[in-house]
Amino acid sequence: MGGRDTDIVLLDENGIRSDGRKINETRKVSIKAGVLKNANGSAYIEFGENKILVGVYGPRDVHPKHLSDTDTGILRCRYHMAPFSVGERKNPAPSRREVEISKVIKEALQPAVMLKQFPRTAVDVFMEVLQADGGTRCAALTGASVALADAGIPMRDLVAGCAAGKAADTIILDVNNEEDQAGQADLPIGYMPNLEKITLLQLDGILTPDEYKKCIEIGIDGCKQVYEIQKKALQEKYFAKSDDE
Amino acid sequence: MNNDKKRHVIPGEVIVSGPYRAEQNTVMEGDKILATTIGLSDIHDGSVKVIPLSGGYYPKDDDLVIGKIISHSAMSWEVDINSCYSGMLPATDVFGRDFSSSSDDLTSKLDKGDLIVTRIVNSDKTRDPLLTISGRELGKIDSGELVYISPSKVARLIGKRGSMIQMIESGTNAQITIGQNGLVVVSCEDSDGLLKAIKAIDLVEEKAHVANLTDQISEMLNVKSD
Amino acid sequence: MTDSKIIDQLKKNQMLELLKEGKRIDGRNFDEVRELSIDIDVIPKAEGSARARLGDTEVVAGVKVQPERPFPDTGDQGMLICTAEILPIAHSSVETGPPQPPVVELARVTDRGIRESKMLDMKQLVLEKNKSVIGVFCDNAVTDHDGNLFDACSYATTAAINSCKIPKYEMQDDAPVKIENEFNAPPISTLPVSVTMAKIGDYIIVDPNLDEWSIMDARITITTNSDGNVVALQKGGHDGFTQEELIKCAEISVKAGSKIREIIKQSSSGED
Repeated sequence: MGGRDTDIVLLDENGIRSDGRKINETRKVSIKAGVLKNANGSAYIEFGENKILVGVYGPRDVHPKHLSDTDTGILRCRYHMAPFSVGERKNPAPSRREVEISKVIKEALQPAVMLKQFPRTAVDVFMEVLQADGGTRCAALTGASVALADAGIPMRDLVAGCAAGKAADTIILDVNNEEDQAGQADLPIGYMPNLEKITLLQLDGILTPDEYKKCIEIGIDGCKQVYEIQKKALQEKYFAKSDDE
Repeated sequence: MNNDKKRHVIPGEVIVSGPYRAEQNTVMEGDKILATTIGLSDIHDGSVKVIPLSGGYYPKDDDLVIGKIISHSAMSWEVDINSCYSGMLPATDVFGRDFSSSSDDLTSKLDKGDLIVTRIVNSDKTRDPLLTISGRELGKIDSGELVYISPSKVARLIGKRGSMIQMIESGTNAQITIGQNGLVVVSCEDSDGLLKAIKAIDLVEEKAHVANLTDQISEMLNVKSD
Repeated sequence: MTDSKIIDQLKKNQMLELLKEGKRIDGRNFDEVRELSIDIDVIPKAEGSARARLGDTEVVAGVKVQPERPFPDTGDQGMLICTAEILPIAHSSVETGPPQPPVVELARVTDRGIRESKMLDMKQLVLEKNKSVIGVFCDNAVTDHDGNLFDACSYATTAAINSCKIPKYEMQDDAPVKIENEFNAPPISTLPVSVTMAKIGDYIIVDPNLDEWSIMDARITITTNSDGNVVALQKGGHDGFTQEELIKCAEISVKAGSKIREIIKQSSSGED
């Protein structure tokens, strides 16, 4: 987490951020559903400069058998960064950070997926970060929801991700890499928009109770904007050719 | 209360609020009924369901499916039925009740890679679905070409009372076996007929939702539709 | 599908029958490579990148360039390391965890193809002899698997390295410092291209797809450079090749390789 000295102006006198955005503006998000041939479901998401490919397999057999649950299907998630995805080349072996993020994302998706009708199986979600620029866990979570829907996994809701944060003493929406390095707080959120529940929440940095409240408010708003893009991606793949009857 | 207006829905979208029954691919949250898969919502006679556009095959009793042998134990074959569960075909189903694992060799009848037309006998969730190949149209498939379609398109390929599949068969002289699990085997003595039949099946997969699909197929086959 | 590695008997019989007639299941000739498309600069933040689509097989290669301490016995040369990983999204049978022997083989064959061809003049990648050199890392990520990962990784790697940018560094107090926004073109001397052939019975087919890969008896990957010389070889599979077959394979490799080399060159020429 940040607070590093930097030459970059995080917020200028007109309230414009280093990449030209306003304080409550998310980066450009685009999602395409069904991009891989072999995976049961897939999505490719660009969230600002983040580029993430998600593939879903399942429900399918669990090996070794002792990992399976006789009452319900299980959800497994793997968040992984390609060696070329970050500034300094990353070792391909999973880092502790990736292990933690995998778990956090799994727990963000768990309330949404309905796996009781698939006992003894597993649904595997693989998120591959091809290019990282801050907020990858929110982007990966967003892509994962679309890939799960594409795979036909029953879900109570989609989960949309977006981070709020603080930089130059101001609450901002959707923290990019520069702002994460040099800013004061980064608060990633995962949100189910129809059920109105937060399923991913973390914090790096220091916030007063009032700032914390504002961050959650603005973050949820960001998630709702991201949800519209998720919807669009699924509609484009499944509903584009035929008319709404 | 019949509201036949179908809508495109994605998981989590509210289909309707109020005193309705939540059926396939829907869930009740409070007094709202939400879709749980991508598909077409359908409200009929006070119950709500979603016809899914994505997702795999879920085994049901009595379904006719096409499976591929993937392995065997001393007493049974494990069969890939294009589902989250493998099917289990007991050796006794093929060898009879006198089956003895020491004298009868499973691979003499069915080996890895063999395709079978089989029926699901019992798909209870606590174990793998039980299969049988004792039956008139059941058994090993020796020839033909295997085509995959999404399980959600199978009904369209069969058509009302079999009308679509009969049209394709008569228009090409092919014999077509359709598994509820999306696997379809096409045999035809004439290679042109074979290609045409496969093309017709691909067209159904691609355009299942299009209103005049039947006309398009009959045009393609040069067959008059009733 | 629970186990899609086992090919069904109908398809296998069909493929063998077709081979007798000189045909392949997807309609290709025996010496025909699938449609190949290469896009470079797909990962703009990396120093180089390329996505290769060989039929339905897809690989993304990313090049990272950073200063490194040289290996003790080659203080006058830069460092080059190529790797490959089959991502679990690529196929239902891919397991996560430490790399299995086929993946290790894929990575090492990809690396040797680039290294042995001397594609990069490593002597030009030195900042200060014995102290600081430029390290070039090319990592391949297979995102969709429909057979012949060897060639897909070879093309993605060659295209990525060929189009990469080497940052300029200057030594300050014995440490290399990157000069922002200043780059050199990489010192490229040749474009290595691999061609993989599968042997099924007595038939030799080029660029096997996954179905052909699963029924093949043996395979050979031959890498050639821009001069048409053979720079790397790898034979795999459980059967063997005759001498005549190996000579024929090399001829095929030179011919098919030069066509592919043009595609790789074209992918870079579209850029600045």
